[in-house]
Amino acid sequence: MSHPPPFGLMAEFDEAETMTAAVRTARAAGWTRLEAYSPYPVPEAAEALGVSAAPVGYIAMAAAAAGAAISAGAAWYVSVHLYPVNVGGRPPNAWPVFLPTTYLVAILWACAAALIGMLALNGLPRLHHPAFFARGFHRASEDRFFLFLSAEDPLYDEDGAAHFLRGLAPLRVSEVRSE
Amino acid sequence: MSDITAPVAEAALRPGAWGFRIAVLLCAAGILLLGISVSAVLVAGIGVWGNNIPHVWGFDLIAYAWWIGIANAASLFAAILVLRRHGLRTAVNRFAEAAALAAILAAALYPILHLGRPWLFHWTLAYPHRAGLWPQFGSPLVWDFWGIMSHVIVTSLFWFIGLIPDLATMRDRAAARGRIRAARAYGLFALGWRGSVTHWHRHQAAYRLVAAMVLPLLLWAQTVVALEFATTLVPAWHQARLPLHVVVTGLPSGLGVVLALAAVLRMALSLERFVDDADMDLLARLLACAGLAAGLAYAHELLVGFLEEDETTRAALSARVLGAGAPAYWGAVLLGALLPQVLWFAGLRSRAAVVVPVGILAAAGVWLDRWSIVVDGLLRDHLPTMSRGYTPSPAEWGLLGGTVALFAMVLLLFGRMIPAVSMFETRHEESETEAEEEER
Repeated sequence: MSHPPPFGLMAEFDEAETMTAAVRTARAAGWTRLEAYSPYPVPEAAEALGVSAAPVGYIAMAAAAAGAAISAGAAWYVSVHLYPVNVGGRPPNAWPVFLPTTYLVAILWACAAALIGMLALNGLPRLHHPAFFARGFHRASEDRFFLFLSAEDPLYDEDGAAHFLRGLAPLRVSEVRSE
Repeated sequence: MSDITAPVAEAALRPGAWGFRIAVLLCAAGILLLGISVSAVLVAGIGVWGNNIPHVWGFDLIAYAWWIGIANAASLFAAILVLRRHGLRTAVNRFAEAAALAAILAAALYPILHLGRPWLFHWTLAYPHRAGLWPQFGSPLVWDFWGIMSHVIVTSLFWFIGLIPDLATMRDRAAARGRIRAARAYGLFALGWRGSVTHWHRHQAAYRLVAAMVLPLLLWAQTVVALEFATTLVPAWHQARLPLHVVVTGLPSGLGVVLALAAVLRMALSLERFVDDADMDLLARLLACAGLAAGLAYAHELLVGFLEEDETTRAALSARVLGAGAPAYWGAVLLGALLPQVLWFAGLRSRAAVVVPVGILAAAGVWLDRWSIVVDGLLRDHLPTMSRGYTPSPAEWGLLGGTVALFAMVLLLFGRMIPAVSMFETRHEESETEAEEEER
């Protein structure tokens, strides 16, 4: 059986600053298919990678508007058409009393959409990923920082990429295979 | 830095100690009591409770409003911590979120049991129905259904989003020591989190967004409860100021409970390094502030109430404040508003022997306030024949004790199975402290 194809190369660092500097250097060298891993949020590295979190907010806002519209619409339709009740001569479309549920449903949808949108943008849940096969990767959730160069990058050739990563002063560089 | 994560994760992964087992046993007994009390209501109906006309709302609504208040203030504290800027953030928000979740679970039990026919609670949902019946969106009961449902779901989401990266840490630690089953269980809920910087960035945005959404939700959760009272014609309840009163006087309960829990937790799990003195100080001062705000709410109630032109309203207030309701009313003022003021003294608020009783008594004071509103608000009814007292029955005491045990059990299990403080925030905080020290 032949070897599985290489997935990329992983460099390990013990400081967030070294990893962030490595991300900046790699971006400056023209790498486009790269990813960094850290045990806590490193906003500087995310900025260097050119990631924007704004879509999470847009998704949540759109969901809040949709939830509010559906809730208010349902309250109106139920109260005016499906089951009108005469309470002391008040009109069936007494819209101010529909506001509490509208407000609550808008918040509910915004929060659910923030979680679901964040997961969808991140491609999660995905329990199985080649990155987990990198040596020592379990410490990415503890105290180590990683920079990953993908084999799909046009600049990628195994020796050149390894040479480039060794130049960034990592603790070690290891190959990641896709299974 | 590995030794930073270790004690927190160890607390969750090590076999149970004796104290823990005894506490779980006690809580299990309390939950048995809860089961019996709930069964009594389901089998015999709400006649087993002491409430009757005019006291249609007794222990169930008191406890409901009280638990919501605890959940609210705990969520408020957690949301404030998450929304504060990096570096100032602390790790104690995790168990404040867990306490909020446990309290909201306890609260959610009451409105359903209180329906009389709890198995028909789904009638408050809007869905096509063979009887052609639809809910009335003008009814506070329908608002309440949506309010409590949103509160449960949003509080759980808030807690879960913050927990995902820590579950991944637990997965990796369990896997590293060959506990494959535990690793799989944690891994399933960690959703395959691998700490990508891109993922972190979006995760933080979602976490802060939900924290920001929690604030308007809290305001509304207690407001809906208060509106159920305010929309009636009972003189003591039919007031525009009631929602604000219930929101503000509810704050000392949750902050008190979180403060007492924090003090107990850091001793029991030896987490002094993570829940440090600055955190305890912040919490204690917040409780003192909440007590002050509650004190202002009481002062406003007395001032506005006795200046009221309507004689019926004044009579209702004076029955609560000066008549038969005086012990509950002044007990609430003393425990909920005045007692927390001792925490302004730095020497007192740094001592666990002071903050634990003050926190728990503040929560008890808020319970007395709810008694004063729900029960003593009806001391003066319109008809003299209707003025009869309210005495809670054993089934109601069982329900109250049982939900306290449920709350404690949920927190015990959380403390045992998942990280009690946020590990990734602790790591971040420590790395910043190290960087500052290096700069010096």
